Amino acid sequence: MTEADLEDVWRRSAPHVLGALGRRYGDFDAAEDAVQEALLAASVQWPKEGTPDNPTAWLITVASRRLIDRHRSERARADREQAAALRVAADEAYSPAADAGDEHAHDDTVLLLLLCCHPALTRASRVALTLRAVGGLTTAQIARAFLVPETTMAQRISRAKTRLREVDAGSSLPAAEQLPDRLASLQDALYLIFNEGYTSSTGATLYDVSLTQEAIRLTRQLPDCLPGSDEVAGLLALMLLTDARRGARANADGSLVPLADQDRARWDRAAIAEGSQLLETVLTRGHLGPYQLQAAIAAVHSEAESWEETDWMQIVVLYRMLDDTAPSPAVTLNLAVAVAMVHGPDAGLRMLDPLLDATSMRRNHRVHAVRAHLLEMSGRHDEATRAYATAAQLTTSMPEQRYLNSKAGGGAGEPVAGAT
Amino acid sequence: MKYVILIYSNPEPWGHPTAIYTKEGRDVPQEQHDEMDREFEALMNELTASGEFVTAEALADPASATLYGWSAEGHLATDGPYAESKEHLAGFFLIDCDSRERAEEIAAKFAQPGGVIELRPAMWPGGDDQ
Repeated sequence: MTEADLEDVWRRSAPHVLGALGRRYGDFDAAEDAVQEALLAASVQWPKEGTPDNPTAWLITVASRRLIDRHRSERARADREQAAALRVAADEAYSPAADAGDEHAHDDTVLLLLLCCHPALTRASRVALTLRAVGGLTTAQIARAFLVPETTMAQRISRAKTRLREVDAGSSLPAAEQLPDRLASLQDALYLIFNEGYTSSTGATLYDVSLTQEAIRLTRQLPDCLPGSDEVAGLLALMLLTDARRGARANADGSLVPLADQDRARWDRAAIAEGSQLLETVLTRGHLGPYQLQAAIAAVHSEAESWEETDWMQIVVLYRMLDDTAPSPAVTLNLAVAVAMVHGPDAGLRMLDPLLDATSMRRNHRVHAVRAHLLEMSGRHDEATRAYATAAQLTTSMPEQRYLNSKAGGGAGEPVAGAT
Repeated sequence: MKYVILIYSNPEPWGHPTAIYTKEGRDVPQEQHDEMDREFEALMNELTASGEFVTAEALADPASATLYGWSAEGHLATDGPYAESKEHLAGFFLIDCDSRERAEEIAAKFAQPGGVIELRPAMWPGGDDQ
């Protein structure tokens, strides 16, 4: 067994092992240490003695033993009489039904995901903890993916764990009435992970971990039986349909290619097919949430041969529905582009006026980028150039700044990024 | 999102914390300095606990700087402070937080007698294709 194989087994088993231990013993932190020790034991033992038939069960058994040993030695110091009681728990831990059962493994993953996305944690902490505990990534890998020093990430993770202990998050499922909120928070964290990976992976910028793939993998593990699972399917479809464009969204030098200019032959047709299929199944059920709507919009783009041939009328309808369900300035911006494609640039520009005045948008480069694009469409090139320059000043993304500067420097008439 | 909080100050003599070495700082009563110290320590604890603190450095006297100019013939090094700036960079903090609003809230707390605080977003190598 190579190190890569071991890593693979570990990543698949980690949430099950940690979830099973957390559920049984309730101490997340100690469980994580015990799991690390079990993995170390596996790295020594498996290459010599072969990989066990059920690596997850093996890891759970060994980690349980370590956890109980630790409890026992701590207890022994304080009260030797209690050791016998813990031995009972140890025997229970070896029962094969609990260790090997697939339905338990599934529940454990969901439980752990919900725990990691507890509302008492900040969004950044939820993301970090989810990747660490459920994704099985190392702190160093997570830190690299988010471009912060390892010490910062370690602090974020350890603080999150402390916070969970403080609020006594426990290791049981939240009450039924809390579940919708908790699931929303979980979906939000998974989408954040996806976006972090998608927006930072341009061209040559390679990390050893793909956050987009990790987010897709984790989202796939959420079972269909959860309340609001249509939105989970919508989220997965959105990720697949967006990630399908990965091969076309950056040039070799790392510069961004806007949707309008992408070589659609390089889109991943298998991912598009899977995303569309998922979406078709849930859309017929009628519980339309924001992720399903965004996925539907991405699906319309993926069906079009080109930017011009896109079914813009349908995109307008979908963005209006999204605007009703989950209004935001970003939705208005995208709607304005779609409206401009159907009714002409002036109709789109009129929709932007309220955004230009909104204080929350005063530092948002995208309003100005979209405005520049629509001005260009209507032939007002001087105003377009100024709007591109403003957008270039405001963006903090280096590839976007290069792109916007090039637009501000002339080159009118080229197609520009718009709605997704 | 990452932001740098740049602290410009001209302490005389150069020293840290700069707030006690500036003319304006010397005019502030000791009790008020103590109060500011407590508030700053609380802020640091908060940022460390939340994971928003990334790194920070206090800088040595600008007189210890070396400046490198470039020309086609090669670089030219000169010793001493960057003459064109009136206020000198005394130190910086790098923070990583959820929003511009949060960054502004944090940066405002760095305001100090005899200094100017500048908040600047850091650029990043990514971007989306929207």
